[in-house]
Amino acid sequence: MSIRLENIHKRFGAFTALGDISLEARPGEFLALLGPSGSGKTTLLRIMAGLEFPDNGRVCFDGEDVTGLTVAERNVGFVFQHYALFRHMTVAENIAFGLNVRPRRQRPSRAMIAARVQELLDLVQLGSLGQRYPAQLSGGQRQRVALARALAVDPKLLLLDEPFGALDARVRKDLRRWLRELHDRVGLTSIFVTHDQEEALELADRVVVMDHGVIEQVATPLHVYNEPASAFVFDFVGESNRIPVQVRGGKLFYLGQPLDVPTIGADGPSELFFRPHDAAIVKDDAGAIPALVVQVRPKGAGVRVEGKLIGIDRPFEIDVALDEAPEPGRIIALKPGHPRIFPVSREIDG
Amino acid sequence: MTANTESPRARRLLIGIGLAFLGIFLLLPLVSVFAEALEKGFAAYFAGIAEPDAIAAIRLTLLVAAISVPVNIVFGVAAAWAITKFDFPGKSLLITLIDLPFSVSPVVSGLIFVLLFGAHGWIGPWLQEHDIQIVFAVPGIVLATIFVTFPFVARELIPLMTEQGRDDEEAALSLGASGWQTFWHVTLPNIRWGLLYGVLLCNARAMGEFGAVSVVSGHIRGLTNTMPLHVEILYNEYNFVAAFAVASLLALLALATLVLKSLLEWRFNYHHGGTGH
Amino acid sequence: MRAAKVIPGFGLTFGFTITWLSLIVLIPLSAVFIRSAGLGLDAFIAVGLSPRALAAYRLSFGASLAAALVNAVFGLLVAWILVRYDFPGKRIVNALVDLPFALPTAVAGIALTALYAGNGWIGQLLEPYGIKIAYTPFGVVIALIFIGLPFVVRSVEPVLADLGHDVEEAAASLGAGRWQTFQRVIFPAILPALLTGFALAFARGVGEYGSVIFIAGNMPFVSEIAPLLIITQLEQYDYAGATAIATVMLIASFLLLLFINALQVWSRRRMAS
Repeated sequence: MSIRLENIHKRFGAFTALGDISLEARPGEFLALLGPSGSGKTTLLRIMAGLEFPDNGRVCFDGEDVTGLTVAERNVGFVFQHYALFRHMTVAENIAFGLNVRPRRQRPSRAMIAARVQELLDLVQLGSLGQRYPAQLSGGQRQRVALARALAVDPKLLLLDEPFGALDARVRKDLRRWLRELHDRVGLTSIFVTHDQEEALELADRVVVMDHGVIEQVATPLHVYNEPASAFVFDFVGESNRIPVQVRGGKLFYLGQPLDVPTIGADGPSELFFRPHDAAIVKDDAGAIPALVVQVRPKGAGVRVEGKLIGIDRPFEIDVALDEAPEPGRIIALKPGHPRIFPVSREIDG
Repeated sequence: MTANTESPRARRLLIGIGLAFLGIFLLLPLVSVFAEALEKGFAAYFAGIAEPDAIAAIRLTLLVAAISVPVNIVFGVAAAWAITKFDFPGKSLLITLIDLPFSVSPVVSGLIFVLLFGAHGWIGPWLQEHDIQIVFAVPGIVLATIFVTFPFVARELIPLMTEQGRDDEEAALSLGASGWQTFWHVTLPNIRWGLLYGVLLCNARAMGEFGAVSVVSGHIRGLTNTMPLHVEILYNEYNFVAAFAVASLLALLALATLVLKSLLEWRFNYHHGGTGH
Repeated sequence: MRAAKVIPGFGLTFGFTITWLSLIVLIPLSAVFIRSAGLGLDAFIAVGLSPRALAAYRLSFGASLAAALVNAVFGLLVAWILVRYDFPGKRIVNALVDLPFALPTAVAGIALTALYAGNGWIGQLLEPYGIKIAYTPFGVVIALIFIGLPFVVRSVEPVLADLGHDVEEAAASLGAGRWQTFQRVIFPAILPALLTGFALAFARGVGEYGSVIFIAGNMPFVSEIAPLLIITQLEQYDYAGATAIATVMLIASFLLLLFINALQVWSRRRMAS
């Protein structure tokens, strides 16, 4: 099923949670809503579910307007951040809940419900735990019960609010891979909310980066990482170095000196962004950025070099091969690779 | 607005039913106390209160509370200290035993002291020989009041002090404070609102106790009548205005208790532990 | 026992607690049991289970049960509106709920009697229909509703407030209607607390004296509650009779106390996760 949001606005009192959001998810797509807390991503997810209603705008499922429908009428699966399992019910009763509350005429027989529950328990690899209570399960197991419960009602759309937020790092990684496989198998249009860029880039078909209630960029993980649409996106989806520069007549100036960097962009004060692994240490300091090395630590196959940019007293970090590692205390010349230049227009903070 | 709530109509209906129930069962009795007391005007009202027997009853009630409340504070703090700062077997049994007076009928609470100290009681004959009067006199009233208010302070402090743990005390002791210094400067400031809460409820019950006191008092006007007992006597003599006048003083005490209690809850954000009695 | 070595005062406070508890509560209470054991079984049954005493127990327990049931329904409703809704005067209403804890029982007793007597504000509305409340067993129930209400409200309130909103949203997202959500998700979660409040209100009602005797009418076999019967025996210097009835009531209270403690253990286990 496809879902389309048209010009969604949502305020809470004087606070604008969402300002004019339009977005579309294609059938079978796995979409991530990525942003810091307060960016409006959870509110947007809840509006899709019908747990929250927009002040303006429309929500369409397969082209059909569902804006006025309640969550019970929309037939979406929602996985809550803290799972919201029913504590007084067994795992099997939790999963069967959505089927048991159907009006008598649409309710499957007991045997059919039991079969469906077992099928879902097997799907989430909890086959033998149906008679346990939620309190007797680990965090990762609870999370899978919540997923099975949401899938039991054959939803047209699966929505997950910070699905891995309450889990520890190791379980999180395993579950992530498992969820991706499950999505590919079930083929359900799925949208999840996360503040973890790694999670979004690893899992989603497309990433929706949000900040302050607006969408900054919608693109594939590769595109978001390599071609960030704004300073905020660059900063949020990965590690970055940020350097104040001037664009004058198609050339880039850093502390009054021209930088040897291909430039696109309008004249004016700007910021130059580059990723730590895209920088190189060069011999020739003309057109390069002078920096003082403070610390060198192992990182992956190479080293991470940390220090201060000379003249502006800002920290930097770059990754270089082991045999290129400079001594701490030395002054080096940096040359940014794959740089992005964004005009300074609004406050950016990661 | 969130999706998951009752319709405004259902909501108004539920609020309406709830408030109507509270209005009829709680508010109306309270209002009627004052209405009945003032039925014959202010002169009759004040005459009922200013009568010598009424004054004696007020004095006795204050005396009983002035003895039993401090006694229960000392006990409550000591019990809470022993229970929350140390581990020992049988702790939950001890808590249950402290709570016991709440589950005993007030009449039985009075009876036990008659069985002990009355003329036919265990120590009664010995007391008579030495001319000591406990039952049907003020000491009996005080004892019965201490019994029925026994758990109030302790049961307020135990959950509070359990929640606060032992870290603060251990820190103070590690800095060289003595046990008493630790209690006065560290523990007491931490528990003051809870203590005040317990004292408020304890005092309300001590001044208002009827059943237990009724059994041990002997109902001697001007001597062993507390305010609630005086209300009963006046009421049974069909002196309704005077009965309700004295009752209205007790109702004012209840209102003051509720106001102070609410103030503790809002102002100092004090969340009290269990179901108070 | 490590902490016992760090924080001082265990011997003093523990010793004082046990001594004072024994002197004020345990020894006096045991007096009832020892005295009634001295009665002999036949005498005990003759007074403790006499027809008049049985009628009194029936009234005390029956009226308490009826009042606790009314309170379970309306107490839950009051707790619900206090936790879930906003309305003007909510704080005052919240404070008013505790009135029965703070108002002396004798005051409540005469006030309720004045209200429900034939010429009272409520009594005169009911009298034309032939409904009599004061001086009948119904009066006892009314007084016990007054006394017991806060137990239910204050037991249910915190559990209802702690119940996560997300659980209700989960139920709705799975297609449950509002009533189904209440019935299948909310009610089972608050049931232990509701039962605890019910049992507390019931236990309090069984022993209640002050608020009841004015409105009850106190007719033997009809509207005479068990605590009143104890007083009547005492006034006739029948210590044996008073002791026997007190023993029956004490045993009933202790059984109820056990039941309530078991409920609270269950409740706590249900809330843990």
